[in-house]
Amino acid sequence: MTDILETKALSHDFSGLQVLENINFAVKQGERHAIIGPNGAGKTTFFNLVTGVYVPSSGKILFKSVDITKAKPYRLNRMGLGRSFQITSIFLKQTPFQNIRLAVLSKNKIRFNLFRRVDRMDEINEQTHEILREINLEQEAHLETSTLSYGKQRSLDFGMALATEPDLLMFDEPTAGMSRDESQTAVELIRKLTENKTMIIVEHDMDVVFSLADRVTVLHHGEILATGTPREIKENAGVKKAYLGETEV
Amino acid sequence: MIAKKSAPSWKQWVFPCLVGVILLAYPWVLGTVYTNIFIYFAIFSVFAASLNMLVSYLGVLSFGHALFYGGGAYATALFLDHIEGLGLFTVILIGGAAGAALGLIVSPLLNRVKATAFALLTLALGQLAYMACLKLRFITYGEDGVGGFPIPDLTLPGIASINMMTAENFYYLAVVVLSLCLLLMWFLTKTPFGSIMIGIRDNPDRVDFLGFNLPMTKAIVFVISGFFAGIAGAVYALFQNLVTPDGAFHIMTSFTPIMMLFVGGIGTFAGPIVGSGVMTIIEELATRYTTQIALFNGILLVLVVMYFRTGFVGLYLLIREKLFQKESS
Repeated sequence: MTDILETKALSHDFSGLQVLENINFAVKQGERHAIIGPNGAGKTTFFNLVTGVYVPSSGKILFKSVDITKAKPYRLNRMGLGRSFQITSIFLKQTPFQNIRLAVLSKNKIRFNLFRRVDRMDEINEQTHEILREINLEQEAHLETSTLSYGKQRSLDFGMALATEPDLLMFDEPTAGMSRDESQTAVELIRKLTENKTMIIVEHDMDVVFSLADRVTVLHHGEILATGTPREIKENAGVKKAYLGETEV
Repeated sequence: MIAKKSAPSWKQWVFPCLVGVILLAYPWVLGTVYTNIFIYFAIFSVFAASLNMLVSYLGVLSFGHALFYGGGAYATALFLDHIEGLGLFTVILIGGAAGAALGLIVSPLLNRVKATAFALLTLALGQLAYMACLKLRFITYGEDGVGGFPIPDLTLPGIASINMMTAENFYYLAVVVLSLCLLLMWFLTKTPFGSIMIGIRDNPDRVDFLGFNLPMTKAIVFVISGFFAGIAGAVYALFQNLVTPDGAFHIMTSFTPIMMLFVGGIGTFAGPIVGSGVMTIIEELATRYTTQIALFNGILLVLVVMYFRTGFVGLYLLIREKLFQKESS
């Protein structure tokens, strides 16, 4: 299998504070890869580098063998990289239907159409309803999004990432701030949505990671401590000491 | 599935027809003075609506919208002054094109700033145009402005040639052109592009990560907004037959549509039109008793900002909701 995402000697510092150092990381096509690590390990920074929020201080990022080190977010999306956001990033004043429809428009490359009413684009609206069904938001399709529960808002966030049909989906702490029940529902939803897809998930909740991921990479103090299957990671002495020991899994 | 709207019935035509009849009869019932006042109202509705595209749909505040309006007005006036035989609709479109071109020119600058910096940059650009207009005498005739240019007749090939110098005839032209502008702008908000604009207002980062090119999208909005402001300016130039720096580019020319927006209601399409109407009526009533019109406008703006920030449209929706609740309970 080929690597869909690769980083080569990736380093980043915030005005002198070294957050990531010499990260060589790869995700294979079709793999569900989790990145874990204690707070401050550099997980979110890594996520932001890959998704084009920051430009790394040094090193390279390759997506489908194309250098995306300095690519803008909208380019990344068009290349097939989708993401959800750590702080739920949706359009709160609009309905879930309108939220998803915007993503569907982008997928269909309708970006500058000034000549047709969007309500009358049946194909677009049908695709939108399909996504809403998948994320179980059909009932709430036409309510204002801000009135939905947090869990449902997260589902909507996933739905938008999914609607552009990315080749690689990236989740940044998808279950953060959720109750146990909500978290379980979210994990199930992610499992369903990412079936046969490639995914990277950044997470600190061990249950989530070990139930979702095929492979796990552990970050510690900005460096890769270990990479392996969930079982290997559980048994890795270094990881236990650095991370798992603290949370007593 | 989406609930399908009921089949079109005669009821939904009642309101548009009523508006049509009122607009047709207006100049004959109310006379020249009120006809001219209405033309002002129509011009400012379109001007304020073009600003509304930035404020309510893109989520940025422009303090220098007179740049596009004045640009359109001057372009129309100068073309008529220098070139003979231009058609009426040609010069109106020239005004729109000038506004659009200015929108395109400033968009790379405007795309680099956000929020307060955006507002201040537009203010600076507007003032720059004002000063340039005063200083470039060899083009703009300075403070005197461009005036006395010929107003072309409206020629319908083979049918008629209509003199545009009478208030009534010009009224019909203004109403048709400006209604068309409002209709186009309204339609725009219903297109996919309109959805993207609203998305940018609510959450630009997400729109970026959905694969939409933010700078390009915003630039197109600036161009479109500039175009309609330019058309409003062109109609204004034809109406006045005189364009001066104070009338076209003065800072109050930028602030008036902002006030209209606030008074009418930000975040709605009807807001700028209602606001323009309310402010025109208040101005008309106030001039009967005093020359201090700004005092009345100021009081109104303070009241709106303090007590009903959603403006007259918001107030109307609130009242309708209250009445509706009473009926249902």
